[in-house]
Amino acid sequence: MNQKQALVKMENIQKRFGKVRALKGVDFEVYEQEVVGLLGDNGAGKSTLIKILSGVYRPDKGNIYIQGKKVEINSPEEARELGIETVHQDLSLIEKMSVARNFFLGKEPTKKIGTLEVLDLRKMNRECMSGLKQVGIELRSPTEFVSTLSGGQRQAIAIGRAVYFGAQILILDEPLRNLSIREQRTILNHIQEARKQGSSVIFITHNVHHVCPVADRIVLLENGEKLGEVKAGELTPEEIAECIANGQMIEKAK
Amino acid sequence: MLTMKTQETTSAEEAALSKWNLRDLRKIPEFGALVAFLALFIFFAIFAPRFFSLRNITSLLTITAELGIMTVGISFLMVSGEIDLSVSGVYAMAGFIFVTLANIFTFPLGSLVALVVALLISISIGFINSRVVLRGGIPSFIATLGMMMFLRGILLGITGGRSISYAGDSLVPSLLTGIMAYRFRPSHFWFIALVVIFSFILNRTVFGNRVFATGGKRQAAYTMGVNVNRVKTACFMISAALAGLSGAIAISRFNLANVSFGQGMELEAIAAAVIGGTLMTGGYGSIIGAAFGAGIMGMVRTGLVMTGVPSYWYNAFVGVILVIAAIVNLKLRSAVLGE
Repeated sequence: MNQKQALVKMENIQKRFGKVRALKGVDFEVYEQEVVGLLGDNGAGKSTLIKILSGVYRPDKGNIYIQGKKVEINSPEEARELGIETVHQDLSLIEKMSVARNFFLGKEPTKKIGTLEVLDLRKMNRECMSGLKQVGIELRSPTEFVSTLSGGQRQAIAIGRAVYFGAQILILDEPLRNLSIREQRTILNHIQEARKQGSSVIFITHNVHHVCPVADRIVLLENGEKLGEVKAGELTPEEIAECIANGQMIEKAK
Repeated sequence: MLTMKTQETTSAEEAALSKWNLRDLRKIPEFGALVAFLALFIFFAIFAPRFFSLRNITSLLTITAELGIMTVGISFLMVSGEIDLSVSGVYAMAGFIFVTLANIFTFPLGSLVALVVALLISISIGFINSRVVLRGGIPSFIATLGMMMFLRGILLGITGGRSISYAGDSLVPSLLTGIMAYRFRPSHFWFIALVVIFSFILNRTVFGNRVFATGGKRQAAYTMGVNVNRVKTACFMISAALAGLSGAIAISRFNLANVSFGQGMELEAIAAAVIGGTLMTGGYGSIIGAAFGAGIMGMVRTGLVMTGVPSYWYNAFVGVILVIAAIVNLKLRSAVLGE
């Protein structure tokens, strides 16, 4: 599965907020059609790292390469143009808007009426329903407000949207938080479905049991530094949790 | 859990277009304002004998148009999640600039040039508001309160409190508010046109979609690739432009610019926007609702006098209507948003 060239390569990434050094030179790679777990305790720098990749923050130092080409990501808009779709925790959908309007936010389809460029609402409603259906989500109506949906449905819509737009790199920040066990199961299926359709997935969590069922590889962060990484099956979830608790890798992993 | 059962077999398109059952009716944000408008209209038509006359309807439209154009702008800005208290200051400032320049510009089309300059300055004030809010990082309530006081202070300082009469050419005044057949005025039609245009922009364009998103949840809009600062800047400029236009219309009607002109009007416009179903917290609102909100204010103003109540009571009535409308709108919205 791991090809020679990484799809994403982040090199010596550093970021500081005032006096706090959130990232102290982190290297991080993602390969084609890979699910990478990014694991670490609260404050380890996971969210900061992926917010740099998704264009929310700019790194103080370090380089980002996509398919070997050096890129600069200055805004979420630019990240999306590079095929990086992010589902931030609690931040991805706007409750006071309809599902269809949310679905196409930032990439709205338009049609021409004379010289006027207007939203293609019919297309938005239709494609939103069929796009979500592809990832196994069925909604009653695309004009429903997001606020009427459950947490699991919202998460599923956010992921479905990212897959619909053909994300090369799909970043999920704590996608299982506050979900019921059945909803968690469904989201994990969506993640596998996304990989099958050609996406690479970065799965951020602080809960090792969330990520172990789907990850091909797990990268451990601690205090803004990379602690190490584990291939699927090399360590048990309990051993990985132990690494995080102790702040050092178990030797047999290497 | 995730897959909801399809209760109806309607296709996506039909679901979007079938607005005719009662539940869906509530989805229309201007629904409350429309009902209130009709109720008040019937009330006054019964209790104020000459209320339902062409003469009164046109004078009602004149008041509604001037307040309404300002309300359209401020509603747009409120949907984007900001507020503008300086609209009445811009209104007075634009009026003064228009009158002063039109009096100086004696060349052909002089008043038109004066109007354009007044509107450009209004838009610049909106731009400055947006810079102060976005760069300075302070709430728009404070920033635009400061701007309102600043503008009023400048006007008072420069004019020393003296009024200026309009002595320019009659082109712009007659284009904006000259009396037409049956006492209709062009401002009525400008108002309706602006309501249609801005309602269209808000609901049917990419920009409008992003205005809703920015006001609904700024951070989420940003992470989805929306340039939220650019959206807010545009909305501040729209608000100021329409406030300036409203000022130019009113001053053309009175033929006189006065320093105390439009004082307190920003609160009337905000009240009209809220009555029209626009949320103070952003992300939800309606331009057509704003128009009906302004219509309600105009109706109360003319209707009260005609029922024989002294006009001093106007604010008391508006206050009660505002609070009732806000509560009703909240209930309607909770039913729709499921909050």
